[in-house]
Amino acid sequence: MGTPIKDVVLRPDAPKTLLLDKHADYIAAYGSKKDDYEYALSEYLRMSGIYWGLTVMDLMGQLHRMNKDEIIEFVRSCQHECGGISASLGHDPHLLYTLSAVQILTLYDSVSVLDIDRVVEYVKSLQQDDGSFTGDKWGEIDTRFSFCAVATLALLGKLEEINLNKAVEFVLSCMNFDGGFGCRPGSESHAGQIYCCTGFLSITGNLHQVNADLLGWWLCERQLPSGGLNGRPEKLPDVCYSWWVLASLKIIGRIHWIDKSKLRTFILACQDEETGGFADRPGDMVDPFHTLFGVAGLSLLGDEQIKAVNPVLCMPEDVLQRIGLRPEIAS
Amino acid sequence: MHGRVKLKSTAQQEEEKRKEKEKKLKIYLTTRDACFNKRKEGVLDEEALQLSQQLLASNPDFATLWNYRREILLYLETVRSEDEVQRLYEEELNFLETCLKMNPKSYGSWHHRGWVSSRLPRPDWARELGLCDRYLYHDDRNFHCWDYRRLVVKMSGVPIEQELQFTDRLIGSNFSNYSSWHYRSTLLPLLAPGSAESSSPQRECSSPTSSPQMHSHRVCEERLLKEYELVQNAFFTDPNDQSAWFYYRWLLGRAEREEMISCVYVSREGERVVVAFSRPVNALSVGFLLVVDGQPLQVDWRSAHSCVRHSPVWICELPPGTISDTSNEHNLTVTWTEKRTHRDCALYSGRAESWCRDSATDLELFRSELSVEKSSVLQSELQSCTQLLELEPQNKWCLLTIILLMRALDPLAYEKETLAHFQILKEVDSMRSSYYSDLCSKFMIENTILKMEYAEVRVFSLCDKSLSTLCHLDQLLLVTHINLSSNQLLRLPPQFAMLQCLEVLQADNNIIEDLEGLRHLPRLEEVSLRNNRLSRLSDLRPLTTCPKLTRLDLRGNPIAQATSIRSELADMLPSATDLLL
Ligand SMILES: [Zn+2]
Repeated sequence: MGTPIKDVVLRPDAPKTLLLDKHADYIAAYGSKKDDYEYALSEYLRMSGIYWGLTVMDLMGQLHRMNKDEIIEFVRSCQHECGGISASLGHDPHLLYTLSAVQILTLYDSVSVLDIDRVVEYVKSLQQDDGSFTGDKWGEIDTRFSFCAVATLALLGKLEEINLNKAVEFVLSCMNFDGGFGCRPGSESHAGQIYCCTGFLSITGNLHQVNADLLGWWLCERQLPSGGLNGRPEKLPDVCYSWWVLASLKIIGRIHWIDKSKLRTFILACQDEETGGFADRPGDMVDPFHTLFGVAGLSLLGDEQIKAVNPVLCMPEDVLQRIGLRPEIAS
Repeated sequence: MHGRVKLKSTAQQEEEKRKEKEKKLKIYLTTRDACFNKRKEGVLDEEALQLSQQLLASNPDFATLWNYRREILLYLETVRSEDEVQRLYEEELNFLETCLKMNPKSYGSWHHRGWVSSRLPRPDWARELGLCDRYLYHDDRNFHCWDYRRLVVKMSGVPIEQELQFTDRLIGSNFSNYSSWHYRSTLLPLLAPGSAESSSPQRECSSPTSSPQMHSHRVCEERLLKEYELVQNAFFTDPNDQSAWFYYRWLLGRAEREEMISCVYVSREGERVVVAFSRPVNALSVGFLLVVDGQPLQVDWRSAHSCVRHSPVWICELPPGTISDTSNEHNLTVTWTEKRTHRDCALYSGRAESWCRDSATDLELFRSELSVEKSSVLQSELQSCTQLLELEPQNKWCLLTIILLMRALDPLAYEKETLAHFQILKEVDSMRSSYYSDLCSKFMIENTILKMEYAEVRVFSLCDKSLSTLCHLDQLLLVTHINLSSNQLLRLPPQFAMLQCLEVLQADNNIIEDLEGLRHLPRLEEVSLRNNRLSRLSDLRPLTTCPKLTRLDLRGNPIAQATSIRSELADMLPSATDLLL
C-alpha cells in the first residue's frame, strides 16, 4: 500500500526551447494593465512585483524597455518617515518591500534617491533581543525577515550596523533535524525558508555552520520524476521552488546533486507559448513571479542566452560586481 | 498565483468575465479608497472595521489592513469595558475563521490570530488548540497552522506528552506525514532525563546548540527504542515513504565533534606556523593565542583558502629570526582561549620542522554520520533493514540506510558491501547519482585515512578509488606526497590549499578542468596532471602562486596541443623548468 508520488506528467507537445522574446513582451506589457482587477488585488506586493519584472528583464538583456524614471520616482515616493519602504502608496512599510526597493534601485544604480541612513535605522529598529527580525512594527518574526534585513544592508554596504552575532545565532536556532530551516525555532523545513537562511549565512559569512551533506541530500530529494522540484516532501513540483532549491544547492556547493537536464526540461515546459511568461506548473496561469524564477533557474543551470544570476540575491552578477558585493559560496 | 489552471474560453465568455471583473474592480477600489481615507483622517471606529473586513475577506494578504484593524482594536481597548473588548476580539476571531476557511495559508491571517489571542482579556486556548486540531486533520501539512499550534502550546503550557500523542494519532492515520515526524524531532529532545525544564514545552530554543539537528543524542534510550519501533512500522508499511526514512536517519544520530586544535605544525623554512582546528573557525574573530618560548607573539593569521571567512586551517609567519637558527630549540603553544584548549609543539635543534597532532580522533571523526552509543542497537537495526531489503531489493531508502548503519558499526569491515550497495543506488536512483558518488567518495577517503599508518601521514595515496570529490583535506595538513590518480575528479577545490606541506602531487587520469586549490602551496615542486581536461592557459594561473614549482606534466590535456603553449607557459611559470607537454 504505497503512497503514490505527487508529481505532474509533461505533455509531449510542451515547449522545449526558451521563448525569450515572448517573455520580454509579457513582462513589458504587464505593467500597462493597471485597470485590471487582479493587478489591483496585488497592490499589496507591488514593490516586489516591480523587482521581479525588472530583474527578469535585466537577466534577458531587456531592462531598457522598462520605464526607469517612473519606477525610480515610485520607489522614492514609497519611503516613509521611519525609513522603511512600502509596497505601494498608502500601504505600510515592511522589510519585504524595503529589500525589493533597494534591489530595484541597485539595478538602476540609484540607491541615493533614498534616505539611506533612515533605511538603515529602520532595519536596525526591527532587530529583537534574540537576534531575530520582525517584518514591521507589528511583531511577526520569521527567518525570511532576517534574510531581508542582511540583504538590504549588504546592498547598501552597511552590514555591520546590526548585531550580526545575535542575528546568526537566531537563524541557527531554526535549523532542523533534516539540516533545513523553518520560519522560527521549531518550524518545519521548507525550501523557501532554506533559501533565506542559507542566503543569510552566505551574506554574513557563516556557511560553515550548515551541514551541507545532510541539507544537500534533503534538497536533491526534492527532485521528482518529472524533473521539477518541490518545496517539501510529498508536495507537487513548482517553478519557484525549483529556484529556491536550486539556489540553495548552489550556495552550499551541491548543485550537481540534481539532474540538471531534467530540471531544465521541466522549467521550459512551464512556459506559456501564447502569452509568454512562466507558470508554477505546466498548463497553469503565468505570472511575473514565476517568470523571474523560471528564467533565473535556467541561468543557474548555465543557459548562455541569459545573464548569470547570483544565487543569494537573485540579481544579475554584473550588478553585484559593480557594487563589489560577493556573498560566500561554499565549494 | 499557485495552482490556477489556465482554461480555454469563448469570446463571449471572455467578454462576460471582463464585465464582471470591471464591476468587481470598481467596488474594490471604492472600498479601498474609503478605508485609506478614513485611516488618513485618523478615524478608528467600527465602520472602518467593517470596510476593511470586506476587503480582507477576499484578499487576506493585504497586510496594511490588518495593521489598521490592530490600530482600531488597540484604541477601542482604551474606551470600552472589558466585556465589550472581549466581545470585540471574539468577533475578530470569528472573522478570522472565515478568512482561514477561504485561505488557510495566509501569513497575515495566522499572525493576526496570534496577535488577537494574546490581546484577549480572557483567552480561550483550548478553543485555539481545537481549531489547530481541525485544520491539521484537514491538511496535516499546513505549516502555518503547525506554527500557530506551537504558539498555542507554548502560551498555554500543553504537556509535551500530549503533543507527542497528537502526532501519534496523525501518524497512525497516515504514515506519510513529514510535518508530524518533524514535530516529534523537536519534542523528543525535550523529554530527555535530567533536564529540569523538560516537562514543559515553554523552554525556548534560544541558542544554536539547542536545535534538534545537533542534539540527537539527548533522546533517552528507552524512548529511542520505542521510536525505532514506530518508525520501522512506518517503513515496513510503506517502504517508499521518504518521511519515515528522513526521520530514521536523524534518530540514528550523528556525533558532534569535540572542538579542539587538531594539529600544530611549525617549519623553520619561512618561519611558518600552521594550525588546524576540528571545525572551521574565523581566526580573526575568535580568541587564539600563539606563545613561542614563553613569549606571546603578535602575528597575522590568514586562512589557507582565502575565499571564506571560516576555515579549519590557519597560517602565520613568525617575526623574522624567531626560529631561524637551527641550533636552537623552541617550544610553541597555541591556545584557543574561547574553548579553553591548547596544543604544544616542540621544535628540536637541528630539525627543520615539527608537528603535534591529535591521533585519537580519527575513529570518532569518521563514524560521525551515525553514532548511537550502543552498537547492539545498531546491529539489530541493521538486521531489520536487511530483512526489508530482501523484500524490496531496489528500495533506495533502505539501501542508503544500510550503508549508514554499516559505517557506524564498522566502516572497514563492511567496505565491500558498502561499495556494492552504492552501485545499486546509482542505478535505481540515477537522478541523484552524483550525490551517491560524492557520499561514496567521502566514505572511501575516510576509510583510507582510518587505515593510514604512521608513515603515511606524509605520503598518502587515494588513487583508483572512483572519487568524484575531495573532502577531509584538513586532515592531510602534513602530507608531502599525494597520489590522486585514476579517479573522476573534476577539480582541485579551494580547500586543497590546506595541504600546506605538499611537495609532490600526482593527479593523472582524472577529468580535472579547474586547479583553484593549487594556490599558495609554499613547498609544491612537482605536479603531474597527465590525461585531464585542462584546456586554457588561465586554468593554470593558480600555479603562479606556488614559488617552488619546477616540474609540471600536462601530457594528454587539450592545452598541451595549443600552439606556442611552451613559450607561454615559460613566461607564466618561469620556475617550472621541467615542462612535459
Ligand atoms: Zn510557485
